[in-house]
Amino acid sequence: MTAVREAITLPMVFLTVVLLAAVRVPGALSFEPPSLFSLVLAAMALGALVQSGTLDSNRLVGFRRSGLERMSGTIVVVTMFAATASIFTLVTPASGLPAVAFACFLFVSLLLVLSAAVDRVRLLRLLAVLLGSAFVLKFVVLAALSTPAEGSVTRALQVLFDGVTLGTIAQAEVGPATGYLAFIAIALYLTGIWMLPPAGWVIVRELRADAPGAPRLVEAPNGSIGTGRRD
Amino acid sequence: MRDSAIRIVGAAAAVAYAVFIAWVSVSQPRSMAEVTGGLTASIGAYRIDEVALDDGLAFFRADKFVEARAAFARADPAMRDPLTQFYVAYSYYRQGWGRLSSDDDLFRQGIAAVDRARAVAPDGRIVVDDETLGLRTADELRAELEAGITREMSDFNPLRVLRERK
Repeated sequence: MTAVREAITLPMVFLTVVLLAAVRVPGALSFEPPSLFSLVLAAMALGALVQSGTLDSNRLVGFRRSGLERMSGTIVVVTMFAATASIFTLVTPASGLPAVAFACFLFVSLLLVLSAAVDRVRLLRLLAVLLGSAFVLKFVVLAALSTPAEGSVTRALQVLFDGVTLGTIAQAEVGPATGYLAFIAIALYLTGIWMLPPAGWVIVRELRADAPGAPRLVEAPNGSIGTGRRD
Repeated sequence: MRDSAIRIVGAAAAVAYAVFIAWVSVSQPRSMAEVTGGLTASIGAYRIDEVALDDGLAFFRADKFVEARAAFARADPAMRDPLTQFYVAYSYYRQGWGRLSSDDDLFRQGIAAVDRARAVAPDGRIVVDDETLGLRTADELRAELEAGITREMSDFNPLRVLRERK
């Protein structure tokens, strides 16, 4: 990893994510800092990133590095942690039943990721799917249910829905600009995670030649090599 | 050597960026004008529009308070000038004042404005040298606004109709 990427690009990307994820534009501008629970989720995500080899801590803050290099590495880790917490706050609804449900969903998902011990590629895919689905649920589905309806029939249905759910589903209006900024923040965050220095190892699937039904190399009559099955 | 310089510059930029994010999180600016105004004020470069302030004062003295606040908003878009914010608060007081009762909503907006003014004033102290005002300090104005939204027995005193707007 080059010094420019480590010292400038990655901290700037993650700090921009922190800023964009904190912006709310429902009418006037406001800034929401990361919630306490998102810090827990960010700690779990950090563990998953190290476990999967997506982030090699030795290449950032290892003792073989010089003081300046370790300082740059520490800034990357700290800003990445802040960006992760901000992203989890961003995709979690602000109140009501959805807030509890999303928090449980994210917590259990990260526990599954940690217990499954996935590799870098799979973790990147998992994070994209996790954040993407949470984004769609909050900024598309919940926003549609919470935005004041224009037609009288739609408004009546919305009031009925609020009554049936005792108002526990509807959220405060987030504003369309917040959704666009959230999309950019998530895309930027995933790009930053992809740019982190990966570990020098990968998880591979071992082929046991003595296992029943395991594929084996066979030589065809024409001399070419292919795979066959052990009887 | 080049790598060291890059790392030092990167660390300084990251710290400055983080300080900016912490500042917006704490000060909660409500518009981009407040963001830029706050940043320029932090380096002492913020200036209000004097012409718009004079327009606002002219409207204020003619009891045209909505127009006055529009002019004050033009003069001080970042809400960083104590004097302008004091007059904004005073406009809410005069508009909301009534002989029998006051408008609580306007008075609350007045309190918010006078709090903003005190927050950006040196030592939180504002004294305005204006002969047309009955209340010339932020402390007096805030107390008057606070009294206006407080319910107490003296509110039912019939002699209240004789009091004058300050």
